[in-house]
Amino acid sequence: MAWRDFQALQRVTTLGDRFVSYVDQGSGDPVVLLHGIPTWGYLWHHQLDELSASSRLLIPDLLGYGFSDRSDRFDRSIAQQAAMVDAWMQVIGVEQATIVGHDVGGGVALRLATHFPRRVARLCVMNSVCYDAWPTESMWRRGLPHAARDMSRRDKMTAMVRGLRDGAFASAPDDDLLESLLAPYATAAGMHSLERDAESLDVNQTMEIVPLLSRITAPTLVLWGEDDAFLPVDYAERLAWDIPDAELIRIKGARHFVMLDQPDVVRGALTQLLGVAVPV
Amino acid sequence: MLGQTKPAAVSMYEATGETAFIYHQIRQVLRASGVSAIFRSWAGAEHVLDAMWSALRPNLETRAFEDASDHVREAAAHAAHPLGTLGAVTHFEPTESRAFQIRAALDLHRYLTPKLLLLAAAARLALDGEYIGREGAVATELVERGVPPRMYPMALVDERPDDKQLRDLFRDVRRTMKTTAADDVYRSLALWPDYFTAAWTHLRPLTRGDEFRDAVDSVRETARSLARTLPLPLRLPPEYFQGRQADMETAASITAEYEDALPGTLMNVMLFATDWQPLDALARSPFAAESRAARRASPRTTAEVA
Repeated sequence: MAWRDFQALQRVTTLGDRFVSYVDQGSGDPVVLLHGIPTWGYLWHHQLDELSASSRLLIPDLLGYGFSDRSDRFDRSIAQQAAMVDAWMQVIGVEQATIVGHDVGGGVALRLATHFPRRVARLCVMNSVCYDAWPTESMWRRGLPHAARDMSRRDKMTAMVRGLRDGAFASAPDDDLLESLLAPYATAAGMHSLERDAESLDVNQTMEIVPLLSRITAPTLVLWGEDDAFLPVDYAERLAWDIPDAELIRIKGARHFVMLDQPDVVRGALTQLLGVAVPV
Repeated sequence: MLGQTKPAAVSMYEATGETAFIYHQIRQVLRASGVSAIFRSWAGAEHVLDAMWSALRPNLETRAFEDASDHVREAAAHAAHPLGTLGAVTHFEPTESRAFQIRAALDLHRYLTPKLLLLAAAARLALDGEYIGREGAVATELVERGVPPRMYPMALVDERPDDKQLRDLFRDVRRTMKTTAADDVYRSLALWPDYFTAAWTHLRPLTRGDEFRDAVDSVRETARSLARTLPLPLRLPPEYFQGRQADMETAASITAEYEDALPGTLMNVMLFATDWQPLDALARSPFAAESRAARRASPRTTAEVA
């Protein structure tokens, strides 16, 4: 699916002064898919058709990301993103959903499960920010004020494409996929927004919730590309140990972008999770 | 036109030092989410942005300027009225998110372009030797600074994009509108290439008609008339530029280019907007400005605080 076709599916809702773009496709139990940095909802395009055959897929672009509000005047932290998802679910009339998060979206999912547990029917975190595993050095540098000015936008984009191609995939992503994942950040304003996103990456917001992980009651799947160099699988083991009854699935032949490296395996695991009964 | 000597504009995200500070002031004072092309062009010539901004800023903060720019917008909306609805949306798939964002981008430009035209008109008149404003103490109401919370970011496609079709469109815009640069408005709408292509295809023939040309002339004259009514003194004699080591000729050349182009750009913004707003709503400011509460005009220095 081309990124513009994915974007064309997006709806929009306003939350106070902010707006959120999201895809809402299919019917059945709602499933919210949360992307990370530096991507947007398009990350989940492989899952869209098959999962939406049996579920209502809801794929928002986080605030400051993709085609959601990217103005320069709000908090983009994972705590704020979780509050946004809570408010957005309220506005679109979804009481509870299976929450799936990758990378920063995984951090948002964990914050939802700990701070807004009524929203979380089931939880899946995949290659997620957690504990003190983040931010990665390259993202941290991207958020430094001088780094923002020391390179031209084209050089930044080239470096980001190279970083993703060389380190984030076990498969060999083609240029089209990488450009599609980064498409919303191709303008100067888009890149500026991404730098603001990078500035908001705050390890304290995942360390803060460590004592709360043991209180998560939603059925939880920790799904991890085993060869992730950014967020090593050791952290998946910690999560699976701290969250009661969490299941850990280590996926071989996958790095950070596990849903793109092994889309069929990820779809199968998610389908299995969706079949798990939700405790009343 | 600027020809070979045109200085390179300074991008709004790559400015440093004094230019970055002035860019911040521009966003705050003009209540804009970005720094428009006229300022970026002034910034490309040494000391010109500082000279032009220092001279213009006092008026730009006034209620009189905000009201005058509202009148320019009204004039453009009324001038657009007889030209009717553009009708480009039927040739483009206006999905929910795209429609929301295009409308939001047009609101940004519908708010900002009248202000840019008014300030360019004032600057050009002053550069031509006119005295604007009144000497002595003038009581002026000021408007609140800061970007309106719902204003869309000023996201722009590259002026020379990789995409050949867009490059050709920009070339056509420049040729048709007789400017050397594709204005921010077009670069902003080009974020949605299908829409921009359809919109420009519908708009282009209109720009060749007498009705459009008359509307552009009328909007330009309205802006110049209103610029002459601005309350605070604006003088731009050669000595002013000499004292600031800024090149007056470059300042005048850049200013003239934008003052020539902006009436047409504003008409085009209005015509683009006809597809998204009822005609009677086009005249209204999308971001009405509150008055500023009484407070100190400048921040305290450390010494004062101590």
